[in-house]
Amino acid sequence: MKAALKWLGLIVLGLVLGIGLAVWQIRGSGLGNDVRVGPWSTGRDVGTANADMKTRAVVALRGLLALPAREARYFTAATDSAGAPLSGKCSYALSGGAIEARWWSVTLYDRGGWLIPNRWSRHSIGSARIPAEAADHWTVLIGPAQEPGLWIPTGTDGLFELTLRAYRPHGLMARDPARISLPTITKRECRP
Amino acid sequence: MIRRLAPLLVVAGAAVSSYYASLAAAPYALMRLAEAKMARTAPTNHFTHSPPVKAERQFVVRPSPDLLYSLCPYDLSAGPLEITAVPVPGRYSSISVFDARTDVAFVRNDEDMAGRPMRVVLALDNQTVPAGAETIRVRYPTGIVLQRVLLADPSEAAKVDPIRRQAQCRTLTR
Repeated sequence: MKAALKWLGLIVLGLVLGIGLAVWQIRGSGLGNDVRVGPWSTGRDVGTANADMKTRAVVALRGLLALPAREARYFTAATDSAGAPLSGKCSYALSGGAIEARWWSVTLYDRGGWLIPNRWSRHSIGSARIPAEAADHWTVLIGPAQEPGLWIPTGTDGLFELTLRAYRPHGLMARDPARISLPTITKRECRP
Repeated sequence: MIRRLAPLLVVAGAAVSSYYASLAAAPYALMRLAEAKMARTAPTNHFTHSPPVKAERQFVVRPSPDLLYSLCPYDLSAGPLEITAVPVPGRYSSISVFDARTDVAFVRNDEDMAGRPMRVVLALDNQTVPAGAETIRVRYPTGIVLQRVLLADPSEAAKVDPIRRQAQCRTLTR
Protein backbone atom coordinates (compact mmCIF):
# COMPACT_ATOMS: atom_id res chain seq x y z
CA MET A 1 0.00 0.00 0.00
CA LYS A 2 2.78 2.40 0.97
CA ALA A 3 4.72 1.58 -2.19
CA ALA A 4 1.63 2.11 -4.34
CA LEU A 5 1.08 5.52 -2.78
CA LYS A 6 4.70 6.42 -3.40
CA TRP A 7 4.43 5.58 -7.12
CA LEU A 8 1.10 7.36 -7.36
CA GLY A 9 2.68 10.44 -5.77
CA LEU A 10 5.54 10.36 -8.26
CA ILE A 11 3.12 10.12 -11.18
CA VAL A 12 1.06 13.04 -9.85
CA LEU A 13 4.26 15.06 -9.37
CA GLY A 14 5.26 14.38 -12.98
CA LEU A 15 1.80 15.30 -14.27
CA VAL A 16 1.82 18.56 -12.34
CA LEU A 17 5.32 19.42 -13.58
CA GLY A 18 4.36 18.73 -17.19
CA ILE A 19 1.13 20.75 -17.03
CA GLY A 20 2.93 23.57 -15.21
CA LEU A 21 5.67 23.70 -17.84
CA ALA A 22 3.10 23.77 -20.66
CA VAL A 23 1.09 26.56 -19.03
CA TRP A 24 4.25 28.56 -18.33
CA GLN A 25 5.44 28.19 -21.91
CA ILE A 26 2.07 29.07 -23.45
CA ARG A 27 1.59 32.11 -21.23
CA GLY A 28 5.16 33.29 -21.66
CA SER A 29 5.41 33.02 -25.43
CA GLY A 30 4.75 35.74 -27.97
CA LEU A 31 2.21 35.37 -30.74
CA GLY A 32 4.60 33.42 -32.95
CA ASN A 33 8.35 33.52 -32.47
CA ASP A 34 9.50 31.93 -35.73
CA VAL A 35 10.54 35.20 -37.38
CA ARG A 36 12.09 38.18 -35.63
CA VAL A 37 12.47 41.63 -37.19
CA GLY A 38 13.92 44.05 -34.66
CA PRO A 39 11.52 44.05 -31.68
CA TRP A 40 8.76 42.41 -33.75
CA SER A 41 8.05 38.70 -33.98
CA THR A 42 5.63 36.62 -35.99
CA GLY A 43 4.86 33.00 -36.77
CA ARG A 44 4.98 31.31 -40.17
CA ASP A 45 2.17 28.81 -39.63
CA VAL A 46 -0.42 30.77 -37.64
CA GLY A 47 -3.92 29.45 -38.25
CA THR A 48 -2.86 26.54 -40.46
CA ALA A 49 -2.90 22.79 -40.00
CA ASN A 50 0.92 22.94 -40.33
CA ALA A 51 1.26 24.79 -37.02
CA ASP A 52 3.07 22.81 -34.35
CA MET A 53 1.40 22.05 -31.04
CA LYS A 54 3.02 24.90 -29.18
CA THR A 55 2.27 27.50 -31.86
CA ARG A 56 -1.36 26.40 -32.00
CA ALA A 57 -1.70 26.58 -28.20
CA VAL A 58 -0.06 30.01 -27.97
CA VAL A 59 -2.18 31.43 -30.80
CA ALA A 60 -5.33 30.03 -29.15
CA LEU A 61 -4.46 31.91 -25.96
CA ARG A 62 -2.99 35.11 -27.36
CA GLY A 63 -4.52 35.52 -30.80
CA LEU A 64 -7.55 33.27 -31.20
CA LEU A 65 -9.19 33.50 -34.66
CA ALA A 66 -5.99 34.77 -36.28
CA LEU A 67 -5.88 34.36 -40.05
CA PRO A 68 -3.18 32.45 -41.97
CA ALA A 69 -0.26 34.32 -43.55
CA ARG A 70 -1.80 34.45 -47.03
CA GLU A 71 -4.53 36.64 -45.59
CA ALA A 72 -2.76 38.54 -42.81
CA ARG A 73 0.54 38.72 -41.00
CA TYR A 74 0.56 39.58 -37.31
CA PHE A 75 3.69 40.98 -35.70
CA THR A 76 3.89 41.66 -31.98
CA ALA A 77 6.43 43.74 -30.04
CA ALA A 78 6.72 43.76 -26.26
CA THR A 79 9.98 45.76 -26.21
CA ASP A 80 11.30 48.87 -27.90
CA SER A 81 14.05 48.67 -30.51
CA ALA A 82 16.68 48.85 -27.74
CA GLY A 83 15.20 45.78 -26.06
CA ALA A 84 13.54 47.49 -23.05
CA PRO A 85 9.98 46.42 -22.17
CA LEU A 86 7.29 48.79 -23.43
CA SER A 87 6.00 50.72 -20.42
CA GLY A 88 2.82 52.76 -20.16
CA LYS A 89 4.74 55.41 -18.23
CA CYS A 90 6.95 56.16 -21.23
CA SER A 91 6.38 57.79 -24.58
CA TYR A 92 7.68 56.28 -27.81
CA ALA A 93 8.09 57.19 -31.45
CA LEU A 94 7.00 54.45 -33.82
CA SER A 95 8.63 55.26 -37.17
CA GLY A 96 8.37 53.35 -40.40
CA GLY A 97 7.95 53.40 -44.14
CA ALA A 98 5.83 51.66 -46.72
CA ILE A 99 4.48 48.29 -45.61
CA GLU A 100 3.79 45.72 -48.32
CA ALA A 101 0.14 45.06 -47.61
CA ARG A 102 -3.23 46.19 -48.83
CA TRP A 103 -3.95 47.60 -45.40
CA TRP A 104 -2.09 47.67 -42.09
CA SER A 105 -2.63 48.89 -38.55
CA VAL A 106 -0.80 49.09 -35.23
CA THR A 107 -2.83 48.37 -32.08
CA LEU A 108 -1.88 48.72 -28.42
CA TYR A 109 -2.82 45.94 -25.95
CA ASP A 110 -1.98 45.00 -22.40
CA ARG A 111 0.36 42.03 -21.97
CA GLY A 112 -2.61 39.68 -21.98
CA GLY A 113 -3.72 40.88 -25.42
CA TRP A 114 -6.68 43.02 -24.33
CA LEU A 115 -7.44 46.61 -25.31
CA ILE A 116 -6.76 49.06 -22.49
CA PRO A 117 -9.58 51.53 -21.69
CA ASN A 118 -8.65 55.19 -22.23
CA ARG A 119 -10.74 58.33 -22.31
CA TRP A 120 -10.16 58.86 -26.02
CA SER A 121 -11.32 55.31 -26.90
CA ARG A 122 -8.32 55.22 -29.19
CA HIS A 123 -6.32 52.02 -29.51
CA SER A 124 -4.83 51.89 -32.99
CA ILE A 125 -3.64 53.74 -36.06
CA GLY A 126 -4.37 52.28 -39.49
CA SER A 127 -2.70 52.91 -42.83
CA ALA A 128 -5.75 54.91 -43.93
CA ARG A 129 -4.80 57.55 -41.35
CA ILE A 130 -1.29 58.06 -42.76
CA PRO A 131 -1.21 60.98 -45.23
CA ALA A 132 -0.23 59.87 -48.75
CA GLU A 133 2.82 62.14 -48.77
CA ALA A 134 4.07 60.46 -45.54
CA ALA A 135 3.47 56.87 -46.67
CA ASP A 136 7.21 56.22 -47.07
CA HIS A 137 8.26 57.92 -43.85
CA TRP A 138 5.74 58.24 -41.06
CA THR A 139 5.84 58.51 -37.28
CA VAL A 140 3.16 57.59 -34.75
CA LEU A 141 3.60 58.75 -31.17
CA ILE A 142 2.64 56.47 -28.29
CA GLY A 143 2.46 57.66 -24.71
CA PRO A 144 0.39 58.55 -21.66
CA ALA A 145 -0.04 62.27 -22.48
CA GLN A 146 -2.02 63.51 -25.46
CA GLU A 147 0.10 64.46 -28.48
CA PRO A 148 -0.81 66.32 -31.65
CA GLY A 149 -1.13 64.30 -34.86
CA LEU A 150 -0.90 60.54 -34.99
CA TRP A 151 -0.95 59.33 -31.41
CA ILE A 152 -2.03 56.23 -29.45
CA PRO A 153 -2.55 56.60 -25.69
CA THR A 154 -0.98 53.95 -23.48
CA GLY A 155 -3.87 54.11 -20.99
CA THR A 156 -1.89 52.28 -18.32
CA ASP A 157 1.19 52.60 -16.13
CA GLY A 158 1.88 48.91 -16.70
CA LEU A 159 3.60 47.06 -19.50
CA PHE A 160 2.00 46.88 -22.90
CA GLU A 161 2.59 45.44 -26.32
CA LEU A 162 1.92 46.41 -29.91
CA THR A 163 0.46 44.31 -32.70
CA LEU A 164 1.09 45.23 -36.31
CA ARG A 165 -1.46 43.66 -38.66
CA ALA A 166 -0.71 43.54 -42.37
CA TYR A 167 -3.77 42.39 -44.32
CA ARG A 168 -3.32 40.88 -47.79
CA PRO A 169 0.48 41.01 -47.63
CA HIS A 170 2.47 41.03 -50.85
CA GLY A 171 6.10 41.14 -51.97
CA LEU A 172 8.64 40.19 -49.29
CA MET A 173 6.03 40.64 -46.59
CA ALA A 174 4.21 37.64 -48.08
CA ARG A 175 7.22 35.60 -49.25
CA ASP A 176 9.96 36.15 -46.68
CA PRO A 177 9.04 38.34 -43.69
CA ALA A 178 12.47 37.79 -42.12
CA ARG A 179 13.94 40.14 -44.79
CA ILE A 180 11.52 43.04 -44.45
CA SER A 181 11.93 46.29 -42.56
CA LEU A 182 9.38 47.07 -39.88
CA PRO A 183 8.82 50.25 -37.86
CA THR A 184 11.37 51.13 -35.19
CA ILE A 185 10.16 51.82 -31.64
CA THR A 186 12.24 54.53 -29.96
CA LYS A 187 11.77 55.53 -26.33
CA ARG A 188 11.48 59.30 -25.86
CA GLU A 189 10.90 59.95 -22.16
CA CYS A 190 9.39 58.34 -19.07
CA ARG A 191 7.47 59.82 -16.19
CA PRO A 192 8.30 58.72 -12.64
CA MET B 1 20.98 1.30 -10.94
CA ILE B 2 17.68 0.97 -12.79
CA ARG B 3 15.92 0.61 -9.47
CA ARG B 4 17.39 3.90 -8.28
CA LEU B 5 16.50 5.67 -11.47
CA ALA B 6 12.98 4.26 -11.65
CA PRO B 7 11.31 7.05 -9.60
CA LEU B 8 13.02 9.67 -11.74
CA LEU B 9 11.93 7.92 -14.93
CA VAL B 10 8.34 7.72 -13.69
CA VAL B 11 8.29 11.47 -12.90
CA ALA B 12 9.90 12.32 -16.24
CA GLY B 13 7.54 10.05 -18.18
CA ALA B 14 4.46 11.53 -16.53
CA ALA B 15 5.79 15.07 -17.02
CA VAL B 16 6.51 14.58 -20.74
CA SER B 17 3.10 12.97 -21.29
CA SER B 18 1.16 15.68 -19.48
CA TYR B 19 3.22 18.43 -21.15
CA TYR B 20 2.29 17.29 -24.65
CA ALA B 21 -1.28 16.44 -23.62
CA SER B 22 -1.69 19.99 -22.25
CA LEU B 23 -0.33 21.57 -25.44
CA ALA B 24 -2.62 19.40 -27.55
CA ALA B 25 -5.69 20.09 -25.40
CA ALA B 26 -5.22 23.86 -25.01
CA PRO B 27 -6.58 24.94 -28.44
CA TYR B 28 -9.74 22.83 -28.06
CA ALA B 29 -10.30 24.08 -24.50
CA LEU B 30 -9.74 27.74 -25.39
CA MET B 31 -11.99 27.46 -28.46
CA ARG B 32 -14.74 25.88 -26.35
CA LEU B 33 -14.38 28.71 -23.84
CA ALA B 34 -14.70 31.28 -26.63
CA GLU B 35 -17.73 29.49 -28.06
CA ALA B 36 -19.35 29.35 -24.62
CA LYS B 37 -18.67 33.07 -24.10
CA MET B 38 -20.17 33.90 -27.50
CA ALA B 39 -23.18 31.67 -26.89
CA ARG B 40 -24.35 34.14 -24.24
CA THR B 41 -25.00 36.78 -26.90
CA ALA B 42 -24.70 34.97 -30.23
CA PRO B 43 -27.06 32.07 -30.97
CA THR B 44 -25.52 29.00 -32.62
CA ASN B 45 -25.81 28.73 -36.42
CA HIS B 46 -26.77 32.39 -36.83
CA PHE B 47 -24.65 35.46 -37.47
CA THR B 48 -24.53 38.06 -34.72
CA HIS B 49 -23.26 41.38 -36.02
CA SER B 50 -21.21 42.94 -33.24
CA PRO B 51 -20.93 46.71 -32.84
CA PRO B 52 -17.45 48.27 -33.21
CA VAL B 53 -14.96 46.88 -30.69
CA LYS B 54 -14.37 48.86 -27.53
CA ALA B 55 -12.12 48.19 -24.55
CA GLU B 56 -15.24 47.67 -22.47
CA ARG B 57 -16.64 45.10 -24.93
CA GLN B 58 -14.12 42.55 -26.18
CA PHE B 59 -15.48 39.18 -27.27
CA VAL B 60 -12.13 37.55 -27.93
CA VAL B 61 -8.49 38.25 -27.16
CA ARG B 62 -6.61 40.77 -29.35
CA PRO B 63 -9.59 42.22 -31.25
CA SER B 64 -8.93 44.85 -33.89
CA PRO B 65 -10.76 48.15 -33.34
CA ASP B 66 -10.38 48.78 -37.09
CA LEU B 67 -12.63 45.89 -38.04
CA LEU B 68 -16.33 45.19 -37.73
CA TYR B 69 -16.89 41.58 -36.69
CA SER B 70 -19.84 39.27 -37.25
CA LEU B 71 -19.80 35.91 -35.49
CA CYS B 72 -21.56 32.66 -36.18
CA PRO B 73 -20.67 29.92 -33.67
CA TYR B 74 -21.66 26.70 -35.45
CA ASP B 75 -22.66 23.17 -34.57
CA LEU B 76 -23.09 20.75 -37.46
CA SER B 77 -24.82 18.07 -35.35
CA ALA B 78 -28.20 18.90 -36.89
CA GLY B 79 -26.92 19.15 -40.45
CA PRO B 80 -24.57 21.07 -42.76
CA LEU B 81 -24.32 24.83 -42.47
CA GLU B 82 -24.95 27.17 -45.38
CA ILE B 83 -22.89 30.39 -45.29
CA THR B 84 -23.76 33.27 -47.59
CA ALA B 85 -22.24 36.75 -47.75
CA VAL B 86 -21.63 39.65 -50.09
CA PRO B 87 -18.40 41.64 -50.40
CA VAL B 88 -18.47 45.17 -49.01
CA PRO B 89 -17.42 47.43 -51.91
CA GLY B 90 -14.15 49.31 -51.73
CA ARG B 91 -12.71 47.77 -48.60
CA TYR B 92 -11.25 44.59 -47.16
CA SER B 93 -13.82 42.08 -46.00
CA SER B 94 -13.61 38.35 -45.49
CA ILE B 95 -15.43 35.27 -44.29
CA SER B 96 -13.32 32.73 -42.41
CA VAL B 97 -14.12 29.42 -40.74
CA PHE B 98 -12.21 28.25 -37.65
CA ASP B 99 -12.59 24.65 -36.54
CA ALA B 100 -12.60 23.32 -32.98
CA ARG B 101 -8.80 22.98 -33.08
CA THR B 102 -8.52 26.70 -34.07
CA ASP B 103 -7.29 25.84 -37.59
CA VAL B 104 -8.62 27.92 -40.45
CA ALA B 105 -10.76 25.66 -42.64
CA PHE B 106 -11.74 28.33 -45.13
CA VAL B 107 -11.11 31.99 -45.99
CA ARG B 108 -12.64 34.07 -48.75
CA ASN B 109 -12.01 37.79 -49.00
CA ASP B 110 -13.60 40.51 -51.10
CA GLU B 111 -10.93 40.18 -53.81
CA ASP B 112 -11.69 36.45 -54.11
CA MET B 113 -15.40 37.28 -54.35
CA ALA B 114 -14.72 39.75 -57.18
CA GLY B 115 -17.89 41.68 -56.45
CA ARG B 116 -20.12 38.60 -56.43
CA PRO B 117 -22.02 37.07 -53.49
CA MET B 118 -20.60 33.86 -52.04
CA ARG B 119 -22.32 30.69 -50.90
CA VAL B 120 -20.55 27.71 -49.36
CA VAL B 121 -21.75 24.73 -47.37
CA LEU B 122 -19.84 23.57 -44.32
CA ALA B 123 -20.26 19.85 -43.67
CA LEU B 124 -18.80 16.89 -41.85
CA ASP B 125 -17.37 14.07 -43.97
CA ASN B 126 -20.45 11.89 -43.59
CA GLN B 127 -23.06 14.58 -44.31
CA THR B 128 -24.93 14.94 -47.57
CA VAL B 129 -24.87 18.36 -49.16
CA PRO B 130 -27.01 19.88 -51.94
CA ALA B 131 -25.83 18.94 -55.41
CA GLY B 132 -23.55 21.54 -56.95
CA ALA B 133 -22.91 23.40 -53.70
CA GLU B 134 -19.34 24.52 -53.02
CA THR B 135 -18.57 22.40 -49.98
CA ILE B 136 -16.03 22.76 -47.19
CA ARG B 137 -15.47 19.50 -45.33
CA VAL B 138 -14.45 19.81 -41.70
CA ARG B 139 -13.34 17.22 -39.14
CA TYR B 140 -15.05 18.68 -36.08
CA PRO B 141 -18.74 19.52 -35.64
CA THR B 142 -18.21 22.83 -33.87
CA GLY B 143 -16.30 26.03 -34.58
CA ILE B 144 -16.78 29.68 -35.48
CA VAL B 145 -17.52 31.51 -38.72
CA LEU B 146 -16.19 35.06 -38.64
CA GLN B 147 -16.89 37.98 -40.96
CA ARG B 148 -14.40 40.86 -40.88
CA VAL B 149 -15.06 44.22 -42.52
CA LEU B 150 -12.44 46.98 -42.47
CA LEU B 151 -13.37 50.40 -41.18
CA ALA B 152 -10.93 53.08 -42.30
CA ASP B 153 -12.77 55.35 -39.86
CA PRO B 154 -15.26 54.46 -37.08
CA SER B 155 -17.84 56.77 -38.68
CA GLU B 156 -18.09 54.32 -41.59
CA ALA B 157 -19.78 51.71 -39.41
CA ALA B 158 -23.32 52.93 -40.16
CA LYS B 159 -22.70 52.85 -43.92
CA VAL B 160 -21.18 49.36 -43.87
CA ASP B 161 -23.59 47.79 -41.42
CA PRO B 162 -26.54 47.06 -43.78
CA ILE B 163 -24.20 45.32 -46.24
CA ARG B 164 -22.46 43.09 -43.73
CA ARG B 165 -25.84 42.13 -42.26
CA GLN B 166 -26.60 40.30 -45.50
CA ALA B 167 -24.22 37.55 -44.33
CA GLN B 168 -26.14 34.53 -43.11
CA CYS B 169 -25.51 31.16 -41.47
CA ARG B 170 -28.27 28.56 -41.48
CA THR B 171 -28.56 24.86 -40.92
CA LEU B 172 -29.59 22.86 -43.96
CA THR B 173 -32.17 20.31 -42.89
CA ARG B 174 -33.66 17.64 -45.10
